This record gives sequence, C-alpha cells and structure tokens, in this order.
Amino acid sequence: MDLFGGTISSLENGLSYATLKNKTIANNIANVDTPNYKAKDVSFKQMLNDAQQSSITANRNDVRHFDFSIKQSKPGVYSYENFRARHNGNGVNMDAEQASLAENTIYYNALIDRVNGKLNSLNTVIKGGK
Amino acid sequence: MTIFHSMNTTASALTAQRLRMDVISSNMANVDTTRAKQVNGEWEPYRRKSVTLTAQEGQFSNFLNVAMGKTSKHGVGNGVKVSKINEDTETPFKLVYDPTHVDANEDGYVRMANVDPLKEMVDLISATRSYEANVTVFNANKSMLTKALEIGK
Repeated sequence: MDLFGGTISSLENGLSYATLKNKTIANNIANVDTPNYKAKDVSFKQMLNDAQQSSITANRNDVRHFDFSIKQSKPGVYSYENFRARHNGNGVNMDAEQASLAENTIYYNALIDRVNGKLNSLNTVIKGGK
Repeated sequence: MTIFHSMNTTASALTAQRLRMDVISSNMANVDTTRAKQVNGEWEPYRRKSVTLTAQEGQFSNFLNVAMGKTSKHGVGNGVKVSKINEDTETPFKLVYDPTHVDANEDGYVRMANVDPLKEMVDLISATRSYEANVTVFNANKSMLTKALEIGK
C-alpha cells in the first residue's frame, strides 16, 4: 500500500492548477489596457472535454450578432475570443479578475493547509503518537 | 515556467504602467512648449505622446515546443510591453492670440502644443488604477509563495 495514499499527489495537482490559474490572472490584469487582448482562463481538462461534447452554439441570423462559443487555443488555457468589455477590443473584466484572484489565493492556502495536515498526521503515525 | 513567472508578468505590467505615467508627465510638462523640434528651419510645438501596449504572447521556443507536441501547458502569456511611443499627428495645434510672443505668426497667433490636460488627467488616473491592481496581484502572489514555503513545517 502506498504510504501517502494518493492524497498528497491529488493536492499537488490542485496546487499546480492554482499556480497556473494565478499566472493567467496575473497576465490578464497585466494586459488590462492592451487593445484587442482577450481574457484567458484555466479549466480542468475534463471540464473542457465535457464542454466540447455538449457544445452549444448561438443561432445567428446576422453577422453582427455575438457568437458565444468558447474558442479553445491550448488544452488547459483557453481564451474568451468573442468577448469584449470595452471599445478598444479588450476583454478583461477587472472586477471578475480581482474576485477570482482572491478566491484562487484562498484555495491555494487551503490546499497548503491540507498538505501540512496530511504530513502532520503521517508524522504522528511515524512517531507512534509520541 | 518558473515559480516567479507570474511575478515577472506583474513586473512587466508595473514597468509598462510606469512608462505610461512618464509619458503623461512629459505631456503635462510640455503643455505650453512652443519649441519642441525644428522642421524645415521652423520651430514646431510639442506633440502629445501616447504609448502602445502589446501583449507578450509566449516566446518562439514555446510555440515550437507546442507545435512539436512536447508541451501542452502554453498560452498563459508573459505579460505586457510598450511596443511603441507614438506622437499625436491627428489633433491640430491650439492657436492662441499673442502678438508679443516670439513664435507668433504674421497674424499674431501662436501655435501651442496639442496637449489636452483633461485627457492627460483621465489617462493618469487610469494608469494609477492599473498600477494599483497589479500591485494587488503581486502581493497575492507573494503571499501564495510564502505559504508554499510552509509545506512540511
């Protein structure tokens, strides 16, 4: 039986997701004044696959209508190509980015706490409760 | 893809916003400048400058690795850069009637810089707010990295 029981590696995956998400948010906020920049977001691969299988598209009868399908550029990171928040073509929503930054930080801290908790309980077992 | 990737991203934005503020300062300082440069032997007033921001999408090596299927984690981007500082040639110079001025023309009008202080103030506030937002990101990132150092303590 595995000593760590898969918990540590699950938490590690969560941490790497949170790190990638943090990089994406940093890049979005860095480009808040860049014309034609589109906001990027991170998704779990599974969620992306689900979205692709049951993809819905807008029924457009005019070329000026917005197409709300999400264009996926690379696995993991995708950008909202058809979304614009301001007239210069920029698609970064600052409030949403700040909110998800705060959320991501808390999520990251929670994961770190869980890793520490797991390691502490292992420590207790190794020392035989002493 | 180092641990300081997002700090570098934020730093690039801080640099870009600071340069934007420098350009605004230059515009405001030269609001009354009538002799910025000589064109065909005649003095031309100061022209308003503005920055062009461009997203730094990954390096060539990143694109190559993705194309070769070596890596899939790509597309986060590397922040922002000022690609150009351009001069405003669209807005006409302001004409001020002052016959005693050395740069007045035959009719007594002086061409003043095409800087609009109102626009500059709005731009300045926008740059300040963007700078503050990036400082917030930097602090959040710093707290995350500090927390990561506590693993196993």
